[in-house]
Amino acid sequence: MSGSPLIEITDLRIRFHGDDGRITHAVDGVDLSVANGATLGLVGESGCGKSVTSLAIMGLLPKQSAEISGAIHFDGFDLLKTPDQMLRDLRGNRLAMIFQEPMTSLNPSFTIGDQIIETILRHRGGSRKSARERAIDLLRRVHIPSPERRIDEYPHKLSGGMRQRVMIAMALACDPRLLIADEPTTALDVTLQAQILELMRELKAASGAAIILITHDLGVVAEVCDEVAVMYAGEIVERAPVDELFSAPQHPYTVGLLGSIPRLDHRTEQLATIEGMVPNMAQPPAGCRFAARCPFVLDACTKAPPPLIEVSPSHLSRCIRAPLERLVS
Amino acid sequence: MTALLEVEGLVKHFVAERSLFGRALAHVKAVDGVSFSLEAGKTLALVGESGCGKSTVSRLVLRLIEPDAGSIRFEGRDLLALDASALRAFRRKAQIIFQDPYASLNPRMTVGQILTEPLALHGLVPSAQRHERVAELLRLVGLEPRLERRYPHEFSGGQRQRIAIARALAVEPKLIICDEPVSALDVSIRSQILNLLRELQDRLGLAYIFVSHDLAVVKHIADHVAVMNLGQIVETAEADALFSAPSHPYSRALLSAIPVPKPQAKRSRIVLQGEIPSALNPPPGCRFHTRCPYVIERCRTEMPQLVPDGIGHATACHRTSELPSSAAIVPSDGGFSPVLEKLVAAFSGGPEAVRGSGVSSLGTHPA
Ligand SMILES: Nc1ncnc2c1ncn2[C@@H]1O[C@H](COP(=O)(O)OP(=O)(O)OP(=O)(O)O)[C@@H](O)[C@H]1O
Ligand SMILES: Nc1ncnc2c1ncn2[C@@H]1O[C@H](COP(=O)(O)OP(=O)(O)OP(=O)(O)O)[C@@H](O)[C@H]1O
Ligand code: SF4
Ligand code: SF4
Ligand SMILES: [Mg+2]
Ligand SMILES: [Mg+2]
Repeated sequence: MSGSPLIEITDLRIRFHGDDGRITHAVDGVDLSVANGATLGLVGESGCGKSVTSLAIMGLLPKQSAEISGAIHFDGFDLLKTPDQMLRDLRGNRLAMIFQEPMTSLNPSFTIGDQIIETILRHRGGSRKSARERAIDLLRRVHIPSPERRIDEYPHKLSGGMRQRVMIAMALACDPRLLIADEPTTALDVTLQAQILELMRELKAASGAAIILITHDLGVVAEVCDEVAVMYAGEIVERAPVDELFSAPQHPYTVGLLGSIPRLDHRTEQLATIEGMVPNMAQPPAGCRFAARCPFVLDACTKAPPPLIEVSPSHLSRCIRAPLERLVS
Repeated sequence: MTALLEVEGLVKHFVAERSLFGRALAHVKAVDGVSFSLEAGKTLALVGESGCGKSTVSRLVLRLIEPDAGSIRFEGRDLLALDASALRAFRRKAQIIFQDPYASLNPRMTVGQILTEPLALHGLVPSAQRHERVAELLRLVGLEPRLERRYPHEFSGGQRQRIAIARALAVEPKLIICDEPVSALDVSIRSQILNLLRELQDRLGLAYIFVSHDLAVVKHIADHVAVMNLGQIVETAEADALFSAPSHPYSRALLSAIPVPKPQAKRSRIVLQGEIPSALNPPPGCRFHTRCPYVIERCRTEMPQLVPDGIGHATACHRTSELPSSAAIVPSDGGFSPVLEKLVAAFSGGPEAVRGSGVSSLGTHPA
């Protein structure tokens, strides 16, 4: 990894205030940074705070219910203190996001062409004609067949995979510095998925953009990420270069995850499982949040929250028993 | 051994567009001449791109929809000739579970009621014993019997899928169709359901038709695989044979693109070019010819038939014998590193497997 971070998140905390007075601690003290040209994978259990973290970066959390603290430094701004107008200019321009649900961000009453062209005109200006040409070119780059014709179609006419690719075309419209991709390939077949991942690699190579890739597919992580952050119950529990994470994970949750995916080269009758459930985030446990599901648990684990410790300079783990090799040697 | 299920020349076309006067203008050839068989206690996986007809085949096999042509034999009996009461008896023997367990469970019924319903419907268990049977079903899928009074929304996604499986098992089926049963679940929960499906198969001799787009999961769970493209099976083989030597150009592209959890994995990915044709208007000849790197003139006009090689592997391609070697097409993930191997074993072995582990009775393991 080289260069200074393009984005640096410090002590991000996000709480949701429910109507019934319940408070959900969705994100609890997250530190993250991504360098120019690097791809960070963000993985973790459903509900652990991945999407909420990325929405905080984009400034898209609901103002009424979300209480946010900490700092998000990007390109000279603290995004949490940036006025809305300026955030709007950043979004879609230097900061772009591919959302988990493509339909939530495509407007059903405009053609896909109108939506891409609008983005280009707003951020880059120029003539409508040249914006349309660029839009067609973008659709071609994301492998939409007959883009000259498809550009005038409405989102509901497209298949799920095509909508996903339109979203990507839109995100690429202004050559963003940071692209956040929230499960960009989950709804796609492997052949299409391969094309999208290729596209993201191309983007990175061509423009040096940084990428935060949220996915539950560890195969995808291994293919495109340089570094990985594993989240559990609102916290980062492990952070490591991709090779190290897959060869010598340092948090028991990561071990469980890696053991639970079937391997092509490894015939097992039984896959590893992580028993139990995630803790209730209205009342997070006092100690380690993974303790209730962790086979390596000690008394000390449940007394105080484990700190994020350096197992090696680039490898962090929030487990008091790390380095885990000691447990099995 | 006669097969549990034999499907021959199945065809289903849907009307995609009608004229103002209700005349059909366009048809989707969702399933177009599909044949396969499945033995009791075995798993057949259906794989292929979205829209290639996997779910339609599943619904046809259950006779939830009627085919336009073809035959389906279940335990040697022609399914399409069954009268109403015989069809009801068949419905007991073949069940389906879906991707989204939440959508398939009635939110206003307790788990106990959900599981009692099929028992009552098919008059399977005398009412006095139904309660005991419900408890047994819940234990079978790894849930505590006391949970029967709860409603679906009080469960996690993985638990809901267990309930859906328990409901399918209630009628003691011979065949369960699993249509993307783990796609909506967390990775950590997924493996519990896959383990459960396997264990139930061993214990109860169930046959599965398993639909999934996760090919590593398919390799893990399937005995046989049928690769579909635009309503047709283009290749079928034993899972191990297919994964070690995929023959059809489409299967090769599909398997070459599997993302594997190994950074810098060696691979030779085949990236497909060309338009994905639509099932509305499938191209003449080989339906894969618009994207096939090996296409020749003959492919554009003549439809290849599924030709068996005599040892259980069948391929529908004019050029099967001329294609380059299929070695090293499926990427290698190298299995676990030695350290990971030990860590996973320790993780699965629980506290005893770990050195210097002092605790057990913290009460932190959820009941
Ligand atoms: N607008 C909201 N109001 C209240 N709670 C919310 C809101 N958005 C998210 N949450 C809660 O915050 C937590 C984190 O949610 P988030 O969407 O970030 O999860 P995730 O890690 O992206 O999960 P998934 O993998 O399922 O997408 C969850 O408990 C969720 O219920
Ligand atoms: N009731 C219907 N009416 C019209 N067309 C239909 C109907 N059901 C399915 N189709 C079409 O038939 C084709 C096959 O659909 P099917 O649902 O079997 O695909 P699939 O392989 O299960 O896809 P996926 O992986 O997305 O679930 C698709 O083109 C679909 O749009
Ligand atoms: S701190 Fe303790 S309970 Fe938490 S992950 Fe480490 S060993 Fe497990
Ligand atoms: S028949 Fe021709 S087009 Fe079809 S898969 Fe074989 S080589 Fe390719
Ligand atoms: Mg999310
Ligand atoms: Mg389907």
